[in-house]
Amino acid sequence: MVLLKDIMPAAQNNIDTKFILLEKGNTTLEGKNRKCLTLVADETAAVHLQLWGDECDAFDSGDIIHLSKGIFSYQHGNLVLRAGKRGKLEKRGEFTMSYVEIPNMSEIHWIPDPSNSKNYIQDYAISPQSRIFPPIP
Amino acid sequence: MAAWMLTLTPPLEAENALETSLREAFESEKASLRPPFSLAIPSPDQYTLLNRAILHGVLTEPQFAKTHIKHLHAIVTDGYAAFVTLLLSLVNHLYPKLLASVKTQLLWLTDQIVCVLGVGYDAVLVSLLRQIAGADCGDGNLWLCSKLVTLFLEQWDRLLEDSPHVLSFALYTFLRVLTDHCRGGNVEKLETLKRLEIHLCVKIVREEFHLCLKIGRDFIRLLQDLVHVPEFRAILRDILFNPCVFNVVGFQFKDVSQIYSTRTSSRYSLLRISPDMETQLRFLLTSIKLGHQKRHQVWFAKKFLNEPDKEFVIVDIVRFICCAHHPSNEIIQSDIVPRWALIGWLLTSCRRNHVVANVKLALFYDWLFFDERVDNIMNIEPAVLLMVHSVPKYVDITHALLEFLLHLVDSYDVERKGFVVKGVSSAFQLLVRKGVIRSLDVLISCPALHPGLKERLKSLIACGTVGSS
Repeated sequence: MVLLKDIMPAAQNNIDTKFILLEKGNTTLEGKNRKCLTLVADETAAVHLQLWGDECDAFDSGDIIHLSKGIFSYQHGNLVLRAGKRGKLEKRGEFTMSYVEIPNMSEIHWIPDPSNSKNYIQDYAISPQSRIFPPIP
Repeated sequence: MAAWMLTLTPPLEAENALETSLREAFESEKASLRPPFSLAIPSPDQYTLLNRAILHGVLTEPQFAKTHIKHLHAIVTDGYAAFVTLLLSLVNHLYPKLLASVKTQLLWLTDQIVCVLGVGYDAVLVSLLRQIAGADCGDGNLWLCSKLVTLFLEQWDRLLEDSPHVLSFALYTFLRVLTDHCRGGNVEKLETLKRLEIHLCVKIVREEFHLCLKIGRDFIRLLQDLVHVPEFRAILRDILFNPCVFNVVGFQFKDVSQIYSTRTSSRYSLLRISPDMETQLRFLLTSIKLGHQKRHQVWFAKKFLNEPDKEFVIVDIVRFICCAHHPSNEIIQSDIVPRWALIGWLLTSCRRNHVVANVKLALFYDWLFFDERVDNIMNIEPAVLLMVHSVPKYVDITHALLEFLLHLVDSYDVERKGFVVKGVSSAFQLLVRKGVIRSLDVLISCPALHPGLKERLKSLIACGTVGSS
């Protein structure tokens, strides 16, 4: 189980983590498939999570969700966490999890690691918190 | 497969661990759940497994329920303790999600367990009482009320002899939900239920008055909400003006102040908070930092206060926060959401004036009869901190609270005004003496508060000092 502050972009389905869903965006159609961007967070960081198909109806804000074999990668230029074809999202409770909204791992500018070209390292934060889902004042 | 389920787990949601363990036991023991039953004495592990399997069987196979119960009676060696523990856990963790057919079986089973006085059955009854939701006249909730009120009436003699305290818990619960059911107007579906609930409550009060004394002062608070019901108006009149009708051999009831001076145990406030709601409230008050509670408050409101009538539940929540959730010093000194802040938010969530008044009464109720020998300073702490912390930015809240408190002193019980003056002034004095607030100057010298109000507060404190010296 990895903490959200420790995830980094990669073309691999290898992220096992747990978070609470803070906010859901609108569900949109991409071809035949529905998708929905959401804000999720744990005690260490927040990130944008992309829901696909039936996942869009299965989860609501306040839900505590486990992600297994997830992937954190660029989709149309946006850095998002998602289950992908091999991963799985599962509701395991609700409400009883605290969280932070800063930093947001999707709002970080990443560059390839000069010492290991397979990895990315953090360059700078484009925005401290989500620009899509601003914190409630 | 569907016939063996206890709940309908939505897609993409993990199955509850208890449900899994019951289902797996049922599947593995299926062959031994039909007669002829084995005469061999089960090993401890087998015994646990059989208990789980039988519970699952009763709940999901109504047509074999009597067979399963016979089987249980045959194997039991621990006074049903293991079985009742499972049952309790099921009610606590799964009740709201159970399928309707499973709930029907569960209530039938509870009745069976009461008949044999299975060890811990009283906790199951209390847990079921907690599942009755406040301000909810939905069919499922009324069904549970009706099942339980019937159970209490039918098992009256047994319960009175074996667990009279359960009857005082039932009294507290049904007095509280009667205010919801009487508000519903003369709807036919409510009428029969209301009559049964009134019958049970009146029976307890008139025949077993000592059970009301067990509840303490909140018994009077609940009765006052039902003063428009003739049976309860008569009871209240007797308590106030004709107390001797409640005398029995060896016990003299002299005056309502006997009840006023009994602090209500937190076990009663807990009755009107479901286990789910309790978990969320306690989490907010132990794990969320002040200033970061907004989203959690929104989620809480969406789940528990989502209909206009649900604001009546806020009265119960405030009672729970004052009486049943007492944070440690470590939490009090941290940056975790304090109780007064949560109450302030709840107070601003109420729309109807009479609900606001009832919430304030719930907040100040222990002040009116405060006696440091029997009362707990933690019950009165949230109200004073809410008044003091509201001064800088929300002085209208401070004003409204203080005005309400002084109004209570003058009018709550004019016959016993001295008693109330003493209670409120000693509450203020103890709060200062224990350092909860540094002094009363923050209120008495507050320029934003109305001078008349400050004068009344000053004379109240002076009155109390003279009275106690």
